[in-house]
This record gives sequence, C-alpha cells and structure tokens, in this order.
Amino acid sequence: MLTRNRAKETALRLAAYLVILIALLWTLFPVYWLAVNSFKLDLDIFAVPPVWAPWLDFPPTLKHYYAAFVERPFLLFAANSLIIAIATTIVSVSVGTMAGYALARFQYPGQWRYQISFWILSTRMMPPIVTIIPLFIFFNYFSLLNSKTAVAVSYTAFNLPFATWMMKSYFQDLPAELEEAAMVDGDTRWGAFLRVALPLARPGLAATAIFCLILSWNEFLLALILTQTEQSVTLPIGIAGRVTQYKTYWGEISAAGFMASIPIVIFAFIVQRHLVRGLSLGAVKG
Amino acid sequence: MSTAEQTASGSVFERWCDRNLRILMLAPAMIILAGLTLFPTIYMFAAAFQKISANVTVPREFVGIDNFARLLTDAQFHVGLLNTLIFTVAAVTTEFLLGLGLALLLDKYIRRLNFLKTILMMPMMLPPIAVSITWKLIYEPQFGVLNELMYRLGLPPQAWAGDVHLAMFTVVLADVWEWTPFMFLLMLAGLASLPIEPYEAAELDGASAWRQFWDLTLPFLKPVIAIALLLRIMDALRLFDLVFILTQGGPADATKVLSFYIYQVAFRFVDIGYAAAISLVVLVLTVVFSTWFIQRMRLAV
Repeated sequence: MLTRNRAKETALRLAAYLVILIALLWTLFPVYWLAVNSFKLDLDIFAVPPVWAPWLDFPPTLKHYYAAFVERPFLLFAANSLIIAIATTIVSVSVGTMAGYALARFQYPGQWRYQISFWILSTRMMPPIVTIIPLFIFFNYFSLLNSKTAVAVSYTAFNLPFATWMMKSYFQDLPAELEEAAMVDGDTRWGAFLRVALPLARPGLAATAIFCLILSWNEFLLALILTQTEQSVTLPIGIAGRVTQYKTYWGEISAAGFMASIPIVIFAFIVQRHLVRGLSLGAVKG
Repeated sequence: MSTAEQTASGSVFERWCDRNLRILMLAPAMIILAGLTLFPTIYMFAAAFQKISANVTVPREFVGIDNFARLLTDAQFHVGLLNTLIFTVAAVTTEFLLGLGLALLLDKYIRRLNFLKTILMMPMMLPPIAVSITWKLIYEPQFGVLNELMYRLGLPPQAWAGDVHLAMFTVVLADVWEWTPFMFLLMLAGLASLPIEPYEAAELDGASAWRQFWDLTLPFLKPVIAIALLLRIMDALRLFDLVFILTQGGPADATKVLSFYIYQVAFRFVDIGYAAAISLVVLVLTVVFSTWFIQRMRLAV
C-alpha cells in the first residue's frame, strides 16, 4: 500500500515537472523568436523552413539595429517614451503618495473615505478609448497634439489612481504608532508624514514608481491617438509605424521591439517582490 | 482632532495647514482626476447627442437620440459588441483555468519558486507592441513558425490572423500567452496565504485531495479569484493593441472589438458624436458589470 502510494506520488511529481517544462518553453519560445529574428538578414527571416539558431543556421547581423537606431529615429522615439514616462511618474507618485497617505490615515465624515477611495479606483477602470476622444479635442484646441505634455498628462489619468491605491495599501501596512509618537514629541502631522511615514514606505514608493514607468513605457492607444509626427511619437507607436499595409519591416520592428523589452524585463526583476500587489492595485499582498 | 491642537509650534499658517491636512493632501489628486476623467465623461455625454462635423467651422447640431437609434441598426456595432464579449469570455476563462492549474502544481511540487516565477511572469511585463509583433511573426502565413509546426504535424497550413474563422482564435491565443502569468501570480499569492490547520484537520478526517480543493482551497481563494477576474475582465473589455497590430479588426470584421470600432469611427471616419454614443455604451457596460461583480463578490465572501 505504502509503495503504491509512493509510486503514484513519483508519477504525479514527474507529470508536474513535465507541465512546468512545457510552460517554460511556451513562455520563452516567443521571446526567443523575436530576439533571434532581430539578428537575421531579411533573407533568413523569410526562410522556409525557418532557421533557428544564430551561427549554426544563419550568420547573425546587427543590420536591423543599425537601420532602426541609426538610420531611422528610433532613439528619438525611445527618448520621447522615456521623458513622458518620467514626467507622468513624478507627478503621479508625488500626488498619489499624499492622497494614499490621507486615505490610509485620516478620518472623514460618514462614508466619505470609502466613497472617495472607490471613486479614485473607478477612474482607473475607465476604458481609455472613452476618455481619449474628449482629451484629443481638448489638446487639439490648445495646440498640444504631438507634444510630450499631452501624452504625459493623459497617462496621469491611469498612473495617478494606481499610485494612490498602491501607496494607500503600503501606508496601511505601516503601524500608525510611530507617527503618533513623533507627534507627541512635538512634530506636526505633516512632519510625521514626511520624516517618519515616508522613509518607512520607501520600498513601496520605489516599487510604485517603477510600475508607473513600466505602464507608461508600454502604453499604446493614447500615444497612438495623441502623437502622429515623427518628432513626437513614442517607441511603441514608432514600431507600429513600420507595420504598413504594403510592407512590414520585420527586422527593424523585431530589433526595436526587443530593445524596448529589455529595460522592462530589468525593471520587472527589481519589483518582483511587489509584483502581486502592483498587479492587483494593492488588493492582494503577495 | 486632538493631535493637531497638541502641536502649538509653528506659524499660524503652518497650524492651519496641519489642521486641514486631510483635505490638502487629498485635494490635488481629486482635482487632477476630476479634470482627466470627469470632464471627458461629461463631454462625451454632451457629444453623444450631437452631430459633430470633422470640419470645425461647421457648428454642432443637437440631434437628440439619433446617435443611439443608429446603434440599434448598426451591424458593425453589433458585431463589435459580440466580438468583445466572445473575446473576453474565451480569453479570461482560459487564462484563469491555466493560471490556477499551474499555480496549484507549482505550489505543491516546486520548493524554491522565485526563479521560475520570474521567467513565467515575463510575457505580461513586455510592451504589448513587442508581444503583438512577436505573434504577428509567429502567425505569418508564408514563413511563420506556426505553419512550420503544422507542416511537421502533417496538417495543412493556415492563414491564421488572415482567416475569418481563425482570426479571433489567434487574438485570444496571443492574449492567453500574455496574461496567463497574471492569473498564475495572483493565484500563487493566494495559495501562499492559505492557513495550514484546516488542511491538517481534513487530512485526519481522510478527505481526498479533490474534496480538499473544493471545500477548502477554492473558498479560501475566492477573494483573490474575484479580484483577479475583475481586473482581467476590465482589461479584456478594452482590448486594442493586439487587434490593431495582428488583424486591424479583420478579416471581414471577425476581430472587430468595440474599442477598435470606436477608434475607427472617431479617428478614421471622424464621426465624433456617434463615437461618443458607442463609448457611452462601453462605459455603462463596464460600470454596470464592475459594480454588479463587486457587490456580488462582497455579498458572497
């Protein structure tokens, strides 16, 4: 009986390892495929049957990286993306941290605290296609289309509620006693926030900021509508611009897409511990 | 607020600030969000009852419920609504089941998870544009690897994203690749926080693994499952990037989802009033669904 159980246990374990192996292959293959295609000559991209391994199957080349980042302005697109991401992150995190702290610590009459929290969350749920048409008309009126300002402002619409909820959840995890002790010692409420709560929440603050950077760097729809000129588009839109009705520049978009992914993967490693909380807007603490 | 009165130091202004801190700290966020979401919503409400010409010199015209009446007879809108629902149900269900299954498996059989987790979570962190072009590359009918796989399995090649019957499947599959990690990670976090005692008791009572799953694991996981489903459904309802790069809503509207249709109406046909009307429908759907879902889950938990 015992040996049969053990045999069954071993079989299950092996089956589990097999499933995990498949999951790993399934996850990694598309990433590998994008990367490997960015190093192929056009001839090898179109090869049938496909060629799989650099050096073994085909001579790797940096031609498409040169085409994208030297001949075409993908570096400028990346700079646009970065500036926009940093601007919206600074505003969202600083304003959101204050709001998150207020919602975590202060009393409000009646159900207001709950109502306001819920309203802020609901703005995060707004489909961007709904808000973008009025924002487009608004930015058009003030001649702000094709500007980084317009994109950064529109990104704040989803980054700010995110930052507020994240910071609210981090502050709720901190004991209020430390701030109370500081106030008994003569510090103001604001001083207690600045000098006691904020330093303690620093890991949460960093994670929130990185999430805002990732969300902004990745965003597609709003940038697609708000930027059209070559000077103003963000990296994702620049890549999409090389997928045309007549021709898709496979090598170039693979190279740019792969390069756009690298900083995100690095950032994801950094915030790994905070990932679950970030994904669930603070609702699930992983 | 007794705490504010204790701090006798500082100028009058500082003390005033400190007394009103709960408003001062919250106000900037609320003002910015009101500007960025309340104003557009009100604008959309007004625009939905107007005919707005692409030519700005033509004055707007109040047309009552004409735009909404058009919704009833607009076949493209009906297709878009149906496609949005089909996509959401197919993608989120698959992601949930795969994510939960994988989480249960890893939780039970793998000890040090962190490295594996880091690899498995990658797809959802990548820029959606990178995900879209990757799958476009895989689906490519002439030289894509999926047709190579079909060939090796002895099956006929397909047009994939270019095939009316397969296009929706290709979008769902790419979305499943991208977002199953989300479900997986949340489920794993839920599993990690399960209490041990009920399982020990169940073990003593001789409850089977299956019974333990139904009677203990699922009920304990319910809050996490509810949040994960809610967030994923909200996201699936606004699907845009994959459709834009893989199919442009085609072929023959097979993958035309509502957000892509609104994009076309507003920015290609420049029919702002009508686009506003469709947007309002999407907004109402989202709000009604999420409110219903949240209420229901809170009642049940």
